[in-house]
Amino acid sequence: MSLDSHDLIPPEPPPKAMRISGFNWARKNLFSSVFSGTLTAILTVGLLLGILAVLRFIFSPDRRWEVIPPNAANYTVGSYPRDDLGNIWWSVWVIAALAGMSTVLWGVGGRVSVVKVVAGVRAAGVTALVVGVLSLWSPAGTAVQSWLVWGGAALIVAGWVPMRLLSEDRTVATANALAALVGLGMVVLWYLHLDRTSHWHLRLIVTALVVIAFHWLGRMAKRWLPDPTFKKVVTMLWVISFPVIYMHIQRNPSVAWEEVLPWLPWAALVMAVGPVAIGLVSRLPREQAAAVNFLLGAVTIFSWVVEWPMAIRVMTLLLTLFSMAAPTFASSPQARKVFYWSWLGGSLCALYFFLLGVASTGLDTRGDFLGGFNLTILLAVGGIALSFPVGLLLALGRTSTMPIFRILSVAYIEVIRGVPLITVLFFADKVIPRFLPPWVDVIGETKALLAITAFAAAYLAENVRGGLQSVSSGQFEAARALGMTTSQMTMLVTLPQALKAVIPAMVGQAIALFKDTSLVAIIGLADFLRVARDVVPNQPDSLGSVLENLLLAAVVYWIFAFSFSRASQRLEKRLGVGTR
Amino acid sequence: MNRPSLAPPTRPPFWRNATFLKWAAQIGVLFGVVALGYVLIGEAAANMRAQGLSLDWDLLTDPPGIQLGEGIFVKPDTGMEAFYTGAVNMLRVAMSGILAATVIGAVVGIARLSSNWLASRLATAFVETVRNIPVLVQVVFWFFLSSILFPVLQEGSSGPIPGLLLVSRKGISFAWPFPQETFWQWGVFLVVGLLTARWAYRTRMRRAEEMGEETRPLTWALLIFLAWAIVGWFAHPLAGAVGWLFGLLAAQVGAIPVLVYQVMLALAALYLAWRWIHRFLESRRSPAGLAKLTDDDYFRMILAGVLGTGGAAVLLLWPGITELGANVFQALLEFCDQKFDFLRTGAPLAIGQPSVEVPGRFAQIADTGMTMTPSFFGIWMGVTLYTSSFIAEIVRGGVLSVPKGQTEAGYALGLRRGQLLRMVILPQAFRVILPPLGNQYLNLSKNTSLGIAVAFPEMVQVGQTMFNQTGDTIQVILLWMGFYLTISLLISLLINYYNRRAQLVER
Amino acid sequence: MMENGADNPIIVCENVKKWFGDFQALRGVTTSVAEGEVVVVIGPSGSGKSTFIRCINRLEQHQEGRIVVGGTELTSDVRNIERIRSEVGMVFQQFNLFPHLTVLHNITLAQVWVRKRTRSEAEERALELLERVGIPEQAHKYPGQLSGGQQQRVAIARSLAMDPKIMLFDEPTSALDPEMIVEVLEVMRELAKTGMTIVAVTHEMGFAREVANRIVLFDEGQIIEEGPPSEFFTNPRHPRTKLFLQQILSH
Ligand SMILES: Nc1ncnc2c1ncn2[C@@H]1O[C@H](COP(=O)(O)OP(=O)(O)OP(=O)(O)O)[C@@H](O)[C@H]1O
Ligand SMILES: [Mg+2]
Repeated sequence: MSLDSHDLIPPEPPPKAMRISGFNWARKNLFSSVFSGTLTAILTVGLLLGILAVLRFIFSPDRRWEVIPPNAANYTVGSYPRDDLGNIWWSVWVIAALAGMSTVLWGVGGRVSVVKVVAGVRAAGVTALVVGVLSLWSPAGTAVQSWLVWGGAALIVAGWVPMRLLSEDRTVATANALAALVGLGMVVLWYLHLDRTSHWHLRLIVTALVVIAFHWLGRMAKRWLPDPTFKKVVTMLWVISFPVIYMHIQRNPSVAWEEVLPWLPWAALVMAVGPVAIGLVSRLPREQAAAVNFLLGAVTIFSWVVEWPMAIRVMTLLLTLFSMAAPTFASSPQARKVFYWSWLGGSLCALYFFLLGVASTGLDTRGDFLGGFNLTILLAVGGIALSFPVGLLLALGRTSTMPIFRILSVAYIEVIRGVPLITVLFFADKVIPRFLPPWVDVIGETKALLAITAFAAAYLAENVRGGLQSVSSGQFEAARALGMTTSQMTMLVTLPQALKAVIPAMVGQAIALFKDTSLVAIIGLADFLRVARDVVPNQPDSLGSVLENLLLAAVVYWIFAFSFSRASQRLEKRLGVGTR
Repeated sequence: MNRPSLAPPTRPPFWRNATFLKWAAQIGVLFGVVALGYVLIGEAAANMRAQGLSLDWDLLTDPPGIQLGEGIFVKPDTGMEAFYTGAVNMLRVAMSGILAATVIGAVVGIARLSSNWLASRLATAFVETVRNIPVLVQVVFWFFLSSILFPVLQEGSSGPIPGLLLVSRKGISFAWPFPQETFWQWGVFLVVGLLTARWAYRTRMRRAEEMGEETRPLTWALLIFLAWAIVGWFAHPLAGAVGWLFGLLAAQVGAIPVLVYQVMLALAALYLAWRWIHRFLESRRSPAGLAKLTDDDYFRMILAGVLGTGGAAVLLLWPGITELGANVFQALLEFCDQKFDFLRTGAPLAIGQPSVEVPGRFAQIADTGMTMTPSFFGIWMGVTLYTSSFIAEIVRGGVLSVPKGQTEAGYALGLRRGQLLRMVILPQAFRVILPPLGNQYLNLSKNTSLGIAVAFPEMVQVGQTMFNQTGDTIQVILLWMGFYLTISLLISLLINYYNRRAQLVER
Repeated sequence: MMENGADNPIIVCENVKKWFGDFQALRGVTTSVAEGEVVVVIGPSGSGKSTFIRCINRLEQHQEGRIVVGGTELTSDVRNIERIRSEVGMVFQQFNLFPHLTVLHNITLAQVWVRKRTRSEAEERALELLERVGIPEQAHKYPGQLSGGQQQRVAIARSLAMDPKIMLFDEPTSALDPEMIVEVLEVMRELAKTGMTIVAVTHEMGFAREVANRIVLFDEGQIIEEGPPSEFFTNPRHPRTKLFLQQILSH
């Protein structure tokens, strides 16, 4: 028998899920068997005792939580000169502006269901209420406890009322919800007055306004620019923002022009030679191009032998690298144009950072102006960014068919992965100065950054290797059958696939790196943990308040690591469902 | 068949030869690396000479003039003793931490999968809290917690469980069976017991499989082991005979001149290189004769030859390397010799209980029980809990990785939940769990180096104390690297061994 | 026996030998292919067909004997390898499209980076070729969103975009369902009509009979018999050829 389409039964909507009563839910999830029931009973008692112990700890009269707010500046920037805190705010605003623009890319234009929002509000209220009530059993009652109780009750009501009034499928724009949250935060900050002298609240409000303003700017820019271009521009801005912030805004360098001016014409000369060399090399036949590159390489080596200014050496090296890549990547007219522009941008960047890097800081400190969470972020972001190219090279070396490259990479990777980070940090701190001439003074922050980079690169290489091995050999064969050279195959076929496959692993590693930056406290840098463990508890006003400060550090680290890992889980899901 | 006539073959000039270019690039980079190392080391040597330091190993033999917080040699006479103390302390933390982290991790991981809502939520909360806080923060936190919140030690303190457990700001002390001087002799019986128990387990297992009867292999194995342990408790002086054997061997090792060892090792290096080349050539040989070797093949063989002869030359030119190896081996044998004696009697273990003593003005924990100092407590709690949160995730992932069909098939065969878990799920999950678990063990071992942050005298802390005294940073860092690489290698070997066994079972 | 290719050979193989470790995959292959000729290679599994055609564009290196393609000998001279790869196109059994690129980008990639064309030239050529293989509407999809037959046609277009003088096909249809086989064979047939030199490993006997100028039978790493299809199918001389044809035609 065959069914015509009109014989088919049309689909029906699924039955509405029955509301499970609390009693049934508990019987199913808490008391399903004798064992489960006993477990529930034991765990409940244990949990209550545990919460009570924690609350007794927190609300004990011995605790001195009030020492934390006055130290906000120590926590965020360490010993950065207090007169120059404006520099820090400028860097915050640069980040805020970029974040505002990026919200357009991250698709904050979406909507969330109201039910979810109010459920969140209610959950926060219940937590506050429970904590407040339970804390009444702890030794001393404080104003915070009544705040918790009344605030919690208010939140519950605030989360309950819309539930009754609104239908279940109402949604609200995520941007609006976020704006409301930011507004709420502002009000709270205004009320708390973290640190009256430095006008935190005002500046935070400016920050929020910058985010919002640049969100709208980004929206407008998106209308003008094609999507990929906008994305590229924003990414580029992010990439250069960090060096600019740390080397320029925060370091406030004072360039000694009388020393710089004599070699500037030479730098200009190298910059002018660039396009000529690239144009020549990309057009000449292979062997002649190799000869030109050989010559450039010789000049580079020569520049390190004789006493040329450092900037010229670095720029010559850069030029050699560019022209070595040119035969394979710049031989079509369009690619050549891209290459000219990259050379211009790259050499200007090198020049810019070199000028600022060698200049002495204009700040009133001995150079170690980095500290607190500022330093933690610098080490984490800098470590990730710098370890990326190194790790990539190591991974390529390890999967190479050339035995010596493979042996060198394997040796490096396995040695680094076999020893703890702290030994690498000590190596950088104590041994690197031994390798350098006595007059070269590398500051501790740089040494730590080098160590973290060297360490992270080995782990990154292992991740990338996993991705490289997941690319099937058919891909290489196809690329080679199309006549690509090994480097073209690597850049255009292998790496894009390999990196996409290991994004989740790399995010996980980035989180681990963020946590690992705390180890620099051991070699004496004033990072966030060090401020919490040593700096604040050793001040006369807050002597011995180490547990309070450590708890604060734990909470802050936790918030960052946890939200990153949540975000990466979402990313993983999105990558899984994406194209192909 | 037609044979089109071809122009005679030409060889390309060397600068266009792919093989030549490949090897030129490699050798160029190798040369660069070696040159860089040479320059840096030269610079370092010059700098050190300027500061009056030298790259020798006197720090191992000189009196270090340092004091360590706890361990075998609190006031070491030589640097060697100091490092030995640090190594043992590190291993104490690592081994007990690995054990505890595995147990906690397994329980939490399974609890996360529990049908009991409260248990799974609590387990999730534990994992998400602990793994997102830097382990160093946790280590420092536990250290300060125990030294601030625990009760003050006083003369009459007897802790929460008198005679068994004493908790105070100066540490946690508990009752413990301490090995006595006859323990090693008893140990021989334990090892024999273990081996026979294993043998019994296997035979009973085989019998169960062949006959299909219930043979209780585990009970058998346990009983046999217990029997050996009990017999050994009283009969252990018999095992004292082993000592004589070790003494004999030690004497022999010392009697042979170093040159003999050197020549033997150098020959071994040459032989290995020759064997590699030989095997390589064999693999290129086909029934039709030796296949034509490419330039690449020649480069490989030359490299192997150079490495082999280079190794042999190093061994022959520097007798110190070989001598060190021989001495260490001999010392090991002599050490074993001392641990055994016919005439030693007495119980191998004795229970020690915690107690308080007041040698001067202040009370302190006496040496009678097993004591965890605040430093030990901090590093141990920190690394154990941190690692256990990762192990929990691994266990959970492993159990979830077993396909659902396995569970359904198990239920269809009428297995109960417990049986299903034990006989179907866990064996399969184990294979997935093992490699990342090994990684976590490695991580835990390396994280013990954070003991330096709470003044726990493990390898790194001892090393830092040493180089603060002597300035010998390079030597200390080399020692660290050697130590941690050895530990890493041992753990990976162990894990690989079990991994291979687990994988074999699959087929 | 045949004077094929003798007049204007574009591929010449002389006593080519190849080992994988101890195992000899090619035991002295001597043959040549004339410009514009269509050669179909058949033979039992493991007989060295793939190895042979992969040696022609040096995806495998032969160890003894000589291979000359378009007047250039395959040696370890970098210049020669590059020249030959860009003159010889290859289509694989498993398509081997680049999954991270769109169809259009798959076809333009090598044109831009190896053939040094501008992007617009390359795109123009790509669209033209997609038209020719019959799937112009798929240009902006990813390979994973196409059927097997469509993917294989994209792979053919990708090779053709390099303007090769010779096309190598290694069992291009054996990973495909029957109706897709027809699509791909149709494209290959069209290609043969344009005068392209083709060396194809395939077991599509209908295609071989109709399109090939010559059939080559491989077994145990050597050429057992070769000849024009009319002769090869109706009057095989070697007993192994008879056996092989019986097995394959009985399906
Ligand atoms: N990379 C390799 N390493 C070792 N042996 C190989 C390798 N490639 C091919 N072989 C062996 O060489 C022989 C010829 O292989 P080839 O792939 O050329 O056969 P084929 O005729 O294409 O077979 P099929 O019809 O199955 O594709 C086979 O026995 C195979 O096992
Ligand atoms: Mg094949």
